[in-house]
Amino acid sequence: MSEPIIQTHGLGFYFKDFKALDQINLNVPKGSIFGFLGPNGAGKTTTIRLLLDLFHSKPGQVKVFGKELRENRVEILGKVGALIENPSIYKHLTGRQNLEVIRKMVNAPKNRIQEVLKIVRLVDNADKKAKNYSLGMCQRLGLASALLTDPELLILDEPTNGLDPSGIIEMRELIIELNREHGKTIFLSSHILSEIEKLATDVAIVDQGKILYQGKLDGLHQGNDSIELVIELDKVPEGASILKNMSYTISEENGRSIHIPIESKKEVAKINKALVDQDIEIYQLKTSEQNLESIFLNITKKLDQ
Amino acid sequence: MNAAIALKRGISAELYKFRRTFILWFLIIGPAFIPIINLLIFLLKGEQIVAEGVNPWQQLLQFSIDPGNFLFPFFVMIVALFVNSIEYNSNTWKLIYTQPLSRTTVYASKVKVFVLMIFFSLMLFGTFSILVGYIVKMAKPDLGFDQDFNHSLFFSLPFKVFLMTLGYASIQFWLSQRWKNLILSLGVGIGGFISFMILSQGWKYAPYHPYGYQILGLGNLRGPNFEVWTNMEYIYRSLGLAIVVFVLAGIDKVRKRII
Repeated sequence: MSEPIIQTHGLGFYFKDFKALDQINLNVPKGSIFGFLGPNGAGKTTTIRLLLDLFHSKPGQVKVFGKELRENRVEILGKVGALIENPSIYKHLTGRQNLEVIRKMVNAPKNRIQEVLKIVRLVDNADKKAKNYSLGMCQRLGLASALLTDPELLILDEPTNGLDPSGIIEMRELIIELNREHGKTIFLSSHILSEIEKLATDVAIVDQGKILYQGKLDGLHQGNDSIELVIELDKVPEGASILKNMSYTISEENGRSIHIPIESKKEVAKINKALVDQDIEIYQLKTSEQNLESIFLNITKKLDQ
Repeated sequence: MNAAIALKRGISAELYKFRRTFILWFLIIGPAFIPIINLLIFLLKGEQIVAEGVNPWQQLLQFSIDPGNFLFPFFVMIVALFVNSIEYNSNTWKLIYTQPLSRTTVYASKVKVFVLMIFFSLMLFGTFSILVGYIVKMAKPDLGFDQDFNHSLFFSLPFKVFLMTLGYASIQFWLSQRWKNLILSLGVGIGGFISFMILSQGWKYAPYHPYGYQILGLGNLRGPNFEVWTNMEYIYRSLGLAIVVFVLAGIDKVRKRII
């Protein structure tokens, strides 16, 4: 296997006394779309800032393209494009002029601006002032400026944050296109699991500064193949106490239904019988494989206990 | 990579981003402010102002440099704010510091553009002031603007002011770079200037107060033996302070976390 594009080794970080990151060991394979998942405040943005040397890491903690970040900063940043949190855009300039500012800094050829505008589909609005841009256009402009140097690696921090559904779909298509057609490795953070599920080939799940899972996306489902049963019924509290007596753990309970994890589908009949015997009316029994969302909640919840 | 080329790239990007901003107009209108007032004064009340036997150019010089020297610190404070707040307002500190240029280069580009802006404005001020003289000369030939005068004073004096300004300009630059809040750095600047005005009434260390070098160092324009390049200690103090502060502010920016 080729060397990982991003490699962190025991990466830690403190904000004064608060330990924001603890022993983060990331291995981002070349050519992957690497989803970096975690709830708000888990340490995603801090990690990304460390990867870009906006926050300084300690020597030996971060390697990008197999090279020590602190010592090869300029060379590495020349091959990395980044989009961090809220858009960085000079509002008084047009989209094209914004790109020109960065183009001058990175010394890219002039026609590269037109190329990146095409990639992010912003050609028609390139000469409008950025203050009139929608958030989706701002994000795409940010992506365009990240692409100016034709980087091998893109680091995107919550690229779909705040976008409407069509904006999200557009951004997702763009990311997949950049990965497949332009061969870029993409490191992408998000707290929206369904987003990552649709995009990523590899994931790392982080919470409270620690990595809880890292590997292929498919690997997440393995070892977590329990089934969730949703029971819609009329008397929820009574039903819940019966299930508790049968030593099931209730994962969710609301006015209309109860959710419980079960081992196999055979248990459904047993549960149904037990409830009906107690004169509880059942409207629906529904099983589903656990999706990434509930796996994620399980993984991050474990840490709280 | 060659550091000079990198710096050139940083500066050209830095200059480009000020297109169509208020600051560009400010850099032109600011230096025109006093000359325009002087033009009006000489055109409307010229006869009352120009005393018998006095070269009106000398009077124009005083009318330009004296108030200019008093107002200039406020101009510098605002320019220092502008060059830094453009990044705060656009959330672009993180953008410019993730480009493949060393942090020192990006920082130095900003300092250089700031210093150039101050220099450019002062030279523009000198040019505008001379223009006032020539316009009045044409409009009111009897005021005596056809007399000989050493016009280079209109540039050498602002240049001296420029050198004596860099001291507190560097402080203003550092403050504006550190704090997103505009009022804070402006407040410190105004406080610094006013405190000098008060302390200069009798405090023996007032000549070391960074906000007063350009006022104490300029010398008496009315004096018969006036020379530009005297009181050099103020220039040295200002330049020394500027070097120290710009280096410290640079170390601060290179080491700091960028949000």
